[in-house]
Formats: sequence, structure tokens, C-alpha cells
Amino acid sequence: MRPNRLPSRLWGVALLTVVTMLLLAACGTTAATHHKTKKKKSTTTTLSAGNPSSPVTLTEAGSSLLYPYLQLLAPQLHAAFSNITLEPAAGGSGLGISDTIAKLTNLGGSDAYLSAADALANPGVLNIPIAVSSQAIDYNVPGAPAFLNFNGKTLAEIYQGTITNWDDPQIAALNNGVTLPNLPIIPVRRADSSGDTFLFTSFLSATDKTWANGPAEGTTVTWPAVADELTAVGNPAMITVCKATPGCIAYIGISVENTAIEDGLQEALVENKAGNFLKPIQSTMTAAALAGASATPASLTQSLIYEPGAQSYPIVNFEYVMVQAQQTSATTAEAIRAFYTWAISPTGGATPNNLAADNFVALPSVVIPKVEAAIQKIVG
Amino acid sequence: MIRAEGGVDGNVDPASSIVRTNLRDKDLTRPDRIARALFLVAALVPAAMLIFLAVEMIREAIPAFIYSGWGFFTGQIFSFGQLYATTLSHHNGITAPHGAVYGAFPFIFGTLVSSLIALLIAVPVSVGAVLALSERIPRRFQSGMSVFLEVLAGIPSVAYGFWGVFFFGPFLATHIYPTLASVLGFIPIFHSPVGFGEGLLTTSVVLAVMIVPIIAATTRSLLSTVPILAKEGALALGMTPYETVRVVTLPYVRRGILAAAILGWARALGETMMVLMLSGNLLDRLPQNIYGGFSTIAASIVDLLDSALTDATGMAVHALAALGCVLLVITIATNLIGRLIIRRSTGGVPLPIGRGI
Repeated sequence: MRPNRLPSRLWGVALLTVVTMLLLAACGTTAATHHKTKKKKSTTTTLSAGNPSSPVTLTEAGSSLLYPYLQLLAPQLHAAFSNITLEPAAGGSGLGISDTIAKLTNLGGSDAYLSAADALANPGVLNIPIAVSSQAIDYNVPGAPAFLNFNGKTLAEIYQGTITNWDDPQIAALNNGVTLPNLPIIPVRRADSSGDTFLFTSFLSATDKTWANGPAEGTTVTWPAVADELTAVGNPAMITVCKATPGCIAYIGISVENTAIEDGLQEALVENKAGNFLKPIQSTMTAAALAGASATPASLTQSLIYEPGAQSYPIVNFEYVMVQAQQTSATTAEAIRAFYTWAISPTGGATPNNLAADNFVALPSVVIPKVEAAIQKIVG
Repeated sequence: MIRAEGGVDGNVDPASSIVRTNLRDKDLTRPDRIARALFLVAALVPAAMLIFLAVEMIREAIPAFIYSGWGFFTGQIFSFGQLYATTLSHHNGITAPHGAVYGAFPFIFGTLVSSLIALLIAVPVSVGAVLALSERIPRRFQSGMSVFLEVLAGIPSVAYGFWGVFFFGPFLATHIYPTLASVLGFIPIFHSPVGFGEGLLTTSVVLAVMIVPIIAATTRSLLSTVPILAKEGALALGMTPYETVRVVTLPYVRRGILAAAILGWARALGETMMVLMLSGNLLDRLPQNIYGGFSTIAASIVDLLDSALTDATGMAVHALAALGCVLLVITIATNLIGRLIIRRSTGGVPLPIGRGI
């Protein structure tokens, strides 16, 4: 008996329907979204940066160096502007940059400015600094004195695997009179896409030719293969891993340095361009910031690494908060402008207490007009 | 008229005695037609999803394959390049960041080798466990013991990873590996240093624990197809239970166990979360010895995704898609081969659907 077969036409139509639906769904998500931009008829040249008319929640993601500072600012911001709530999150500077570009977050915290390629591909993204921070080099060598001297070349060789033991003559030469134990060096690096990696590798590139031609700088680099190297995700994990591993050396953002010291890690003195070995403290950070700030372009893409000056700490940076210049609504744009304006003001977010709590310093005054000009570009 | 289908010799296979009607299309009412159309669409969704996934994956991966050529499979260096450099590199008509090299050999090696070692451990353990369960353990304990197997299958991958990182890995590294290194140290891969617990051997052992339920469940179903007459005959001839298993049972299900092993291997290939936590995530290098850190395709994609998104040329994402493509091809091929073998040897024993992560 002939079995009841469905006409092949029906099969074809059904398959076509399903595949078409799926492809349409895929195309739909990649299509550009159009929105009407209201032209603001304003007679004043400055856009308002006050409390928006309706409640706005600003999401932030990115730098784990900036995260403690934003956590500190968020309640104070809400107290100053009742309709603005800031929700910070960590995840690494690379995530801050890519999420801002993909419009997955309102603000992206990053210790690294946009790369030339990223800036070219995304002209609508602004990198706006709100503070100046730095990076410490910490180590865990039981029995060694605190404040060992290091320079960029030695650190580069450690992270390339050329120097493998704490009793290496090159380290001893930097620290005359100190005998270090025969202990293998265990370098720790960030596994996530990290602004701290950017700062550390920028410093290594500035001081070591081999590093500059090899891994170079970036939030993510191709780390040379070192036998005992460990990885950590986020600044707090760098501290945990280094604390648990005798012989380790790690690069740690200044905002969590107090925790690192409390946990028993030792801080290194790093050699600057003038040949002095300095600690990352507010005075040395300010010196570096002042040395580099005047060269800051309008795009605010400026490195403060390895600045000249007797008292300039060599690993200093602008802390950026990335944002899309074109916002979807006027209230969100106003809330964001209010956040930035308040954050850089010495009576708003950048009070001496707030800055000191995370070992940051304020933006140099020469940069402020450029920052304000960038804030004015945020429209909705 | 309604007719039931059956075979000529009366041996009706349950799967095929569906009641068929010989109603023609024009006899169906409108609601019937709508229902049939909807069910058709639903039935086609899995196939369409697979086609859609494969097409999108391959499309995303093509630039990386063009850029790297065959070097993608043989190259030992996987680097996104210098993302902050102002120059770009061009190769075969594709633009990538300066210094970008996409060589996936260490990942392919890590994926295949860890799954293979897991299989070498899991197959004897699961076959042995199932044989013990069905042949030796008193019937009143059997359901209790089999509950453990089922529970093992349901534990999430991240729980295995957590257990491995904080308990099992350190335990292995302090108690088992030093003994292993001293006993088998003359073989280069078992030589010290034994590391701290994160690495190839630890990951493979935990992978084995994860795939034991799959192999055991399939083997259990297979063992139930062994004709009892043959086993009774062997016992009547005076064979010990061990000889019965060796001479009667195992040869009967050998091909089925092979297919179950292949399915378990397919599961191990795609395992992501646990491997990410336990493998040590060493890029660009093959492990120095069996205890050393390594990386697999699945774990590396997760590890590198954040960084890939910061590449303005987009090549980093293409490279990860290419990695995913390789894994997809290996997994699909493995699954198809496994199912082909099992169908030929057992005539359609229902298979457990792998969880995949």
C-alpha cells in the first residue's frame, strides 16, 4: 500500500521558512539602529550638566584599577544628583573599551587610552580622563628587605625568562649590599584584557628594546613563554596569587596597593628616566603627570609613562572613562555630562580625601579645559 | 482504512510499528493541515539550527584561514599581534594587526590529547563498573549504586572545576604525582617537575570522571542486549563468571563500547568550563611533561574572547571563530562516526544526549 508521503514541495517550503526566519533574525541584530537626534536649540555654548529630569542609571564596566574609585564615588554622586545612579563593575580595561564600542555599557573604565586603530574605527568614542593613577611592582620574597630597586630592563628580562632567580647578579647590582636568597622568580601576569598590562608593557617597551620589538604594549600582548609564570584575573587576584607564591613578582594597580602591603607583599622602587628609584606616592605621581600633561592632544590620548623629571614615578597614567559621544536620549547625555563634570571637580568627586583613599592624584589643571571640551561633545 | 505495519517474519521492531493511514491530502481538514505545518516547522528547527550555526561559524572564520593558510593547523604560535602599533600586517589580501600570527597546533594537540588520556582512564573504569553492577553486585544494591552514576552525570562542569582547583589538583600534586614521577620517571613525559596540580594529567583525570557516566550508561544498555541464553550456556559448560564475561559478553558488545567511547570522547572534546579552570591556560606552548599546563580550543576561546574584542581589525574574532570551526568539525565528525558504529552493531539502542559544555 502506498504510504502517505508528504509532497516534497511542502518539505521545501517548511525548510525555507525556518532558515529564512533564522537568517532574518541574524541580519536584524547586526543592522544599524536608527534614532532621531533632536537638534538642541540652545543659545548658550555650554550644555547643561545638572540633575536630569528623570532617573537615569549609568552602567560602567572595565578597569579593575578604577573600580574601587568608582565604588567610592557612586554614593557621593547619588547624593549630589538624586536622579543619577552609577553602577560600576570590574572586568578589565579591555572589556571597558569593547563594551563601550559595542554600546553594551554607558561608561567604560580603562587605564589604557583607545588604540589608534580603535579610535579610527570608532570615531564616536571619547576617552575622557577623570584622575591620574599609577602602578606598583610588588614582590614576595621571604627574608628580603622591602623596597628593592628595579628598573625596566630587569623587569623585562624577568618577564622574558632571561632572569630566573632572585640571586641573579643583575638584581644584586641594582641593590648593592643586599644578598637575596636562591629562590626562583615566579612572574605573575594578568590573564584578562587589562589596563594594568597596558601600563606595565608600555613601561617595558619604553625601557627595553627587545620588549618593544616583541610583545610591545597593549591590554593584551603575546607574553613570552616563561616556565613558572602564573596568571590572575583582576587586580585583587594578582594580590592573592602573589601572596600565596613565595618568589613571585607582580604588577599591581595603585588603588589596591594598600591591601597588597597589608597582605604582606613588598613594594619595589622603580627607576625613572632620571635614574632615581622612586615609590608610587602622590608626590611622584603628580610630578610625572605635570611633566606629561602639557603635551596632551584634544583627543586626550596621552601616555604618562617614563616621563622626565627627577621626582617623576615612571609608571603613571590617566584613568579614562570611555563613552559614546552620541547618546540615545538627552537625559542620559545630561546625566553623563553631570557625572564627568562632578568627577573632575575638586569640590565634587576629586576631593583630596577621595583621591587619597585610592592613592590617585587630581588631573593637572592644564588638561582640564580639554577635558571640559570633550564633555561638551556628549550629546543626546 | 487503518493498517499496522509489521515485518514479514512477524518480528516487529517497536520503533517501526507506527499506525499509518492511507488518507490522502485532500481528506485532511484545515486544522489538520495547520497542525501538520506547525509540527513540520518544529521538526526542522534542529536541522536548521545546525546548518545556521555551521554556516555562520565558517563565514566568520574564513578570513583567518585565508590569512594563515595551512599554517593555521601546524603553527605553534597564536598571537593577536601588537594591537597598539600604528602599522598593520597584510597577508594573502587580509589585513591584521602588526605581528599577528594564528597557529592553532598547541590547542588542537591539547584538546585531542587530554580527551584521549581521559578516554584511556574512563573506558576501563566504566566498563568495569557496569560489569560489576550487572554481574557481581547483589541485586538489592544495584539501583543504589546506579544512582551514583546518574548523579555524577548531572554535576555541573564548574563544580568539577572548583573541586579540581582547590582540592583534587593539590591532592594529586602532593601525594600522587611525586610517586608517579619516581616510579615512571624514566619515561620522559612522566619526569618531574610535577607542578601544583593544574595541568594535563589533572584535567584528563577529571575529564575521565565526567565522561564515565556517558560510557557507563551506554554500556549498561548494550549489556542488556546480550542474549541470556548464551550466558547461561557458558555457565552450564562450566565457565567461571569472569570467563563468561571475557568469552561471551564482551565480544558481543565490543563494537558498542567502542561507539560509547567515541561519544564520551566527543563530550570531552567540547568541555570548556572545567578545563578553563584546571588546565593552567598556557598559550603558545606544548606542555613539557604530562603534569604541565596546556590549553584546549574550547577553554582558549573563552579565555581570549575579551582580548579579541579589542582588536579593531576584527581579525582576532575571526581567528577565534576559526578555532571554533576546527572544534566543530572534529566534534561533529566524532559524533557521526560514533552513531554510525553503534547503529550497525546494536540496531538502534537509544543514546544519551551529550550535555556539551
